[in-house]
Amino acid sequence: MKTSTYLRRYWQLYFLLILPLAYFAIFKYGPMYGVQIAFKDFNFFQGINGSEWIGWDGFREVFQNQDFYRTLRNTLMLNILDLIVSFPAPLILAIMLYEVKTVWFKKLSQTILYIPHFISWVIIGGIVYQVFGTQSGFINNLWVSMGFQPIPFLTDPNYWLITYLLTGVWQSAGWGTILYLAALTGINRELYEAAEVDGATRMRRIWHITLPGLRPTIITLLIINLGNMVTIGFERPYVIGNVAVQEYSDVLSTFVYRIGLESGQYTLATVVGLFQAIVGLIFVLGANFAAKKTTGEGIL
Amino acid sequence: MNKGVGTMKLVSGKTWFKGWSGIMLATVLAGTTVLAGCSSSGSEAGATTADGKSVLKVEVFDRGNSPAGSTISDNYMTKLVNERFGEPNKIDVQYVPIPRSEELQKLNVLMASGGDVPDIVFTYDQGTFNRYAQQGGLTDLTDLLNQYGPNLKKFLGEDTLSYGQIEGKQFAIPGKRSVLGKYASYIRQDWLDALKLPVPQTTDELYTTLKAFKEKDPGKVGSGLIPFGMTIAPAQYEPLLWSFVQQPLTDEQKYTLTQKLGSSDYPTLLPGFKDGLKFMNKLYNEGMISRDFGLDEDKKQLWQDVQNGKVGFYTEDAGELYFTYNGTYKNLQANVKDAKLTPADVFTNNEGKHAKPEYASNGLYIMIPKSSSKAVEAIKYLDWMASGKNLFDMQNGVEGENYTLKDGVPVAKENASTEAQNRLYNYGDMAIIANGKVAGTEEQNNDAYIMQVPEEYQAAMRKSVEISNTDTIPPVNFNKPIEAEAKYGSALQDKYSQLIVKATMAPTAQFDTTYDALLKDYMSSGGQAILDERTKVFQEGGANK
Repeated sequence: MKTSTYLRRYWQLYFLLILPLAYFAIFKYGPMYGVQIAFKDFNFFQGINGSEWIGWDGFREVFQNQDFYRTLRNTLMLNILDLIVSFPAPLILAIMLYEVKTVWFKKLSQTILYIPHFISWVIIGGIVYQVFGTQSGFINNLWVSMGFQPIPFLTDPNYWLITYLLTGVWQSAGWGTILYLAALTGINRELYEAAEVDGATRMRRIWHITLPGLRPTIITLLIINLGNMVTIGFERPYVIGNVAVQEYSDVLSTFVYRIGLESGQYTLATVVGLFQAIVGLIFVLGANFAAKKTTGEGIL
Repeated sequence: MNKGVGTMKLVSGKTWFKGWSGIMLATVLAGTTVLAGCSSSGSEAGATTADGKSVLKVEVFDRGNSPAGSTISDNYMTKLVNERFGEPNKIDVQYVPIPRSEELQKLNVLMASGGDVPDIVFTYDQGTFNRYAQQGGLTDLTDLLNQYGPNLKKFLGEDTLSYGQIEGKQFAIPGKRSVLGKYASYIRQDWLDALKLPVPQTTDELYTTLKAFKEKDPGKVGSGLIPFGMTIAPAQYEPLLWSFVQQPLTDEQKYTLTQKLGSSDYPTLLPGFKDGLKFMNKLYNEGMISRDFGLDEDKKQLWQDVQNGKVGFYTEDAGELYFTYNGTYKNLQANVKDAKLTPADVFTNNEGKHAKPEYASNGLYIMIPKSSSKAVEAIKYLDWMASGKNLFDMQNGVEGENYTLKDGVPVAKENASTEAQNRLYNYGDMAIIANGKVAGTEEQNNDAYIMQVPEEYQAAMRKSVEISNTDTIPPVNFNKPIEAEAKYGSALQDKYSQLIVKATMAPTAQFDTTYDALLKDYMSSGGQAILDERTKVFQEGGANK
């Protein structure tokens, strides 16, 4: 078919594409114009064009700032720990849910597991204080009434890490099962039946059928997660963190918030943003390359 | 006929499709227009309403407390302004709400947007004001003030106006603060009585009293007992820390070793500061102060603990607990029978004085962005507020309904109707040229301030205000802004809080190492830069004495 006839016949479909394309153009590519702020002494009364070029001075200042290294270290640390603790959680949950045969129980557990995802971090922060505080938290009240010393879940950095990680699992694990459950529906039931006939135990079936069936999904999610290694959400560390544990809870996003929105040093904030984007890209490409080499599967 | 129906279907199908794509196109176009609107700065400059009035946009803090029937941009106060000022001057005054809790962030965004910024904006943050002025974002008001603001100038006075001047140019109109005292202490009188102890008068006596509270638990509170209520907000730790500063200080020490972050002076480098922290550390390790004080930034937990009768002693903004909107004392008395809090002046310094910081004589920094074309109208508005009875009426409402006059001082009516009360819910954020009630002389101002609380608390309130004005340490100022403070101010406030929390919570043996490590971090994050710049400006003779 000639291109012109083809276009004339399917023009509606191409037309439909305009909306998503416009979205990307306006919200994803448009703002890239502002990346030049990283190389300018940005004065917002003069605008981007009116500000003077300063070359790499902004980068020099950021890379000399010890808070930058501390927040970068914390970001990586929290993300790596999150990857170890929170990444397998939805996978395990999904497999467990998949093995449940009572339909009503399965539906009920799924709903209960999803709910925390819809609670905003600000509210979770309030709940965490009420549960884990040393003075008014109910766990500690129980603990102290049994005659023990209170446990500083929120004010000792190491205990705080545990609180931070487990709160994350509680909030997101249920929601994370959705992708895995969707992938599981794609596995041919006959494989299980055949395995059962051959006398494979439940664990064997999970190991040899379920997990291989989930492999592409796991790899995709892993690559996406690795790409986000240097970016971290603002709300969770900001809300769960506090002054006493700032040596761990201060991350790149809170750092950018502080120097950008609070102190008005937009140049430095943009430098950090650009740095995160570049490192993120390297991580995604690297993880993809490694995945292709070892398993033959990737996303690019 | 059949054929007809078929055609119609076809036609309607096509129309549907056309209509839908039309909507899509419209959406895309609308998106583009919005963007265009954002980038064309100042396109709204010189805006007028349909009836030919020019529009003046004024920032207002939104605390989310508008009573039913009012909004933050349409209420008794906005109507009063438009009736008395707007009508005669052919100006439509519109209010642009900004959430109080994220005031600075929003203001930064608004200032960056150019055309959308209100004609009058304000902040308490000195660093932000300095930065805007230095980056050339503010209108120079020196001449405008002379021309259009005679009443305003007279009301504020040279001293207050000087806070808004940078190198001789008036870049902000500072609000005038009428009540300068900050803090007072409160102690449970019923506990003291039960233990037959007097109200402590010195830091040492306080320590003994706290120990007695802790050991004898006169209120039968049990494990939740907090002898000394603490938070990580200034009102709780500042009176203690400043009382440890070694007096007398030389001018050089005062000017170079103080650090101004945001709008307050911080004693970080002054001699004695470390001893103050050491005392806090001792109290903490002996279980005297709130265990989770590092989590309590907005004092909510402290207030709750006080109201539930768990707290024996705490320091607070003078009289805060008596105000109806706060209700701490009222709730305490409702929850615990016979509970009584007495205002006290406890912390003593090495000279035996009850030293504590006080406010600077300015309030808000009121600014007119350079992009505004309504600078004249803006000054006229502020001048109107300062003239005649306008400010008084904005602060006090209607005579006979909201207040009665007693010796020229307005006394809030006990049983004012809800409608009358609702008039004044945001007067502080609308009457921006003054901070605190303005009734006339200094004494009358203090009286007006005291008369705001319910009558039963007025005696204690008077005592609190007296305490807050005793042996105060006024803030120190230079005749030009310290650039490093504008740059590092908000980051350093974080470091400062961290220093207090970590040093207080450290085990006794590790206090020194913890303190040293955190101070080092503080210094390298901007503290040293501020110290260097202050030393330099001081040597150049830049101190305002």
